[in-house]
Amino acid sequence: MREYIVEMNHIVKSFGEVRAVRNGEFTLRKGEVHSLIGENGTGKSTMMKLLYGMYPIDSGEIIINGEKIEKLDPKSAIAHGVGMVHQEFMLVNDLTVLENVILGFEPKKGLTIDFEKARKDIQHFIDRYQMDIQLDKKVSQISVGEAQRVEIIKTLMRGVDIIILDEPTAVLTPQETRKLFEILANLKAEGKSLVFISHKLNEVMEISDRISVMRQGQYMGTVDKDKTSPLELTKMMIGREVFLNIDKTYSKVGGKVLEVKDIWVSSLKETSKIRGMSLHVNEGEIVGIAGIDGNGQSELIEAITGLRKVEKGSVILNGQDITNKKPRAIRETGLAHIPENRNTRGLNHTMSIEDNLIAVEIDKEPYTKGIMMNVDASSKYAEEMVKQFDIRPTDYKLPTSALSGGNAQKVVVAREVSMNKKLLIASQPTRGVDIGAIETIRNTLEIAKKKGTGVLLVSAELEEIISLSDRIIVIHEGRITGELAANEANENNLGLLMMGGEDELEKGETES
Amino acid sequence: MGLFENLDKIFNVSLIYATFRASTPIIYAALCAALTQQANILNIGTEGIMLVGAFTAVAVSYITGSWFFGIIAAMMGGALIAMIMAVGHIKYNSDICAIGMGINMLAIALTKFLLSVMFGTTGSFANPDIIPIPRIHFAFLENVPVLNDLLNDWCFTEWFVILFVIILQFLFYKTVWGLRLRAVGQFPMAAQTTGIHVNAVKYQAMLISGLVGGLAGAHLSLGYSTQFVENMTNNRGFMGVAAMYFGGANPVLTSVGCLLFGFSDSVGARLQAYGLPAQFVLMMPYVVTVVILAISMIIKLRAEKKRESSLITNEARG
Repeated sequence: MREYIVEMNHIVKSFGEVRAVRNGEFTLRKGEVHSLIGENGTGKSTMMKLLYGMYPIDSGEIIINGEKIEKLDPKSAIAHGVGMVHQEFMLVNDLTVLENVILGFEPKKGLTIDFEKARKDIQHFIDRYQMDIQLDKKVSQISVGEAQRVEIIKTLMRGVDIIILDEPTAVLTPQETRKLFEILANLKAEGKSLVFISHKLNEVMEISDRISVMRQGQYMGTVDKDKTSPLELTKMMIGREVFLNIDKTYSKVGGKVLEVKDIWVSSLKETSKIRGMSLHVNEGEIVGIAGIDGNGQSELIEAITGLRKVEKGSVILNGQDITNKKPRAIRETGLAHIPENRNTRGLNHTMSIEDNLIAVEIDKEPYTKGIMMNVDASSKYAEEMVKQFDIRPTDYKLPTSALSGGNAQKVVVAREVSMNKKLLIASQPTRGVDIGAIETIRNTLEIAKKKGTGVLLVSAELEEIISLSDRIIVIHEGRITGELAANEANENNLGLLMMGGEDELEKGETES
Repeated sequence: MGLFENLDKIFNVSLIYATFRASTPIIYAALCAALTQQANILNIGTEGIMLVGAFTAVAVSYITGSWFFGIIAAMMGGALIAMIMAVGHIKYNSDICAIGMGINMLAIALTKFLLSVMFGTTGSFANPDIIPIPRIHFAFLENVPVLNDLLNDWCFTEWFVILFVIILQFLFYKTVWGLRLRAVGQFPMAAQTTGIHVNAVKYQAMLISGLVGGLAGAHLSLGYSTQFVENMTNNRGFMGVAAMYFGGANPVLTSVGCLLFGFSDSVGARLQAYGLPAQFVLMMPYVVTVVILAISMIIKLRAEKKRESSLITNEARG
């Protein structure tokens, strides 16, 4: 028998000018869990999407079960036994869970879809792996954890024996992650081979048999889990040691900058509606908002910044009532905002780095003189910012579309932080950026705080929340479930509150 | 002559068939638009496809002496036009509205040109040699008072449209193809990852839409009337698109929207006989279009707002 069921050799893949994978290597043994790790944007996902046939490879070879595959698309990948659970769920919101699971492989009865047979087939997997999912709900009505189980069942229904999981734990609470790992262990025990893409080393160390590392599109090597350590893996990932732990010297906490009083905010999703939330941020402190994605974080930030209507309650900034004021007026009152999605709200991609840097103050001195723009002043400022925040490339006349995720985010951070407003809202400030940029951005927030700015931080990374915040507020389904001082918070107690707190969990257990 | 003394002459049993008769071409057009809308393609070219179909049907019926070949040719013509749009939009990634409007203008000019080249006439073409789509006569209904007025002598394609709405409803919501079509329209990436060829499904939707658009035109020129008139679709394609929005591309709801247009059209025609200015009557379907779209948007927005509100506890929760 062959040693490997999957071999990927000398893989090269470019998207336009960008070399996503320069030299990719990957092998998979039957029945193993093989983790693929690396920083964001190093080509891990691309490698696995190539194996799943999402894009064709530029050069190299893919061998599955000893057969060299010339032309691969998702359909033939599935036929060769490869399934993939994508990082962003590939589920159609308006269709039911049942319809989503059978999509592409529908059992037929005459002209119609045989829903009864489909139901029976799926039930078989539900029972076998104890994955509770509700087949008749629309995808838009189910939780993230459940959606992920739906994705796993989708791959199992296709009869695959190789399952690729692309950062599956990124959207889960620690407790949901435990549940996922149990399912994965069951799958492994049945002889399925698993590929686990992640950048969380503790998880990788827990479930892997072998670990492969990628850096900047290059394959850096494969190690056995038993013969390595997180420290060695970190070095392989970034080529040097990194210190993300911020030295938290407590500066003096001043008066209230922001006060949110019992606000109620609308949302598309039931679990994201804010139903009575009160909190405050003082000068010179970082308040972290922890919660599973989609539990009202975005709505809270949009409500404070004037991007979403507050249906009840009030928001006070610098002693002024800013409830339902225009975003512009709120900014004038003393707010800076690093939005959660830099691509849609943070940057204008067709405009230059320089223009983006002055975007918020474009109509003020010295960037404007009468009706004319003062390009000299904005260029001087841009040059300064590019240097101070280490934005690369340094040519500030380039459009921001030319920047990598990390550098694009630095532009947003530079603009918002340099205004020295009383309140800084940082929403997912390090999402999708490389580890070097994470260091810069986190330090910047820390410096802003020491200058006396009140910072409201929202992040999906618990580790980021814990290491940066002075106080941590945990939210669940649009309500605050707890508040902890930074030194008493850990993944366990935060995770519990993120699930709704102990009361909620007990209630859930007695119900089921 | 008072309008109000004659209300019983305006609103009587024959209005039901008149409404249906006026609605049928719009229903076909709306179904043409609904097919592509399910794949998230706004078929603004419905008007042009329909006009080409109308001309082709008359020309082929006149030449071959067969209404059946007329319909088939019209459907082929519609499909050809739709495929031009499909290649431009799907393969070359151009904006569907721009292509659609181009197609609409091309259709007006092309049919005008061919009318002059093939039949040496301008404005309109009517001839006894144009064989219309037959009307279905039930002899046993002749002596039944109300039903005779209501159901007898319908055009073949008028009966067929009822069946066709049901067929499409079934196709969209009960078959594999329909499920894939909806998935492609709502989240193409998800469809692709399950091994569905997204572009193939889009081409199929455009092709079938073209066939239906051609049929819409054939019904207009061989069923609804028996002639070709320049620009005879007279915005029925756009009304179809509006009705499709009204019904959210659901065939049954879409048809309900079309019936509203047909109703305003036939009531308007009757009012004209009682002294209402012709210009006002001609305006009615368009006013109704605007009003219906506005109302359906308002209802939709209200419902959305209510669904999104944090102050109302929804029953569906949990």
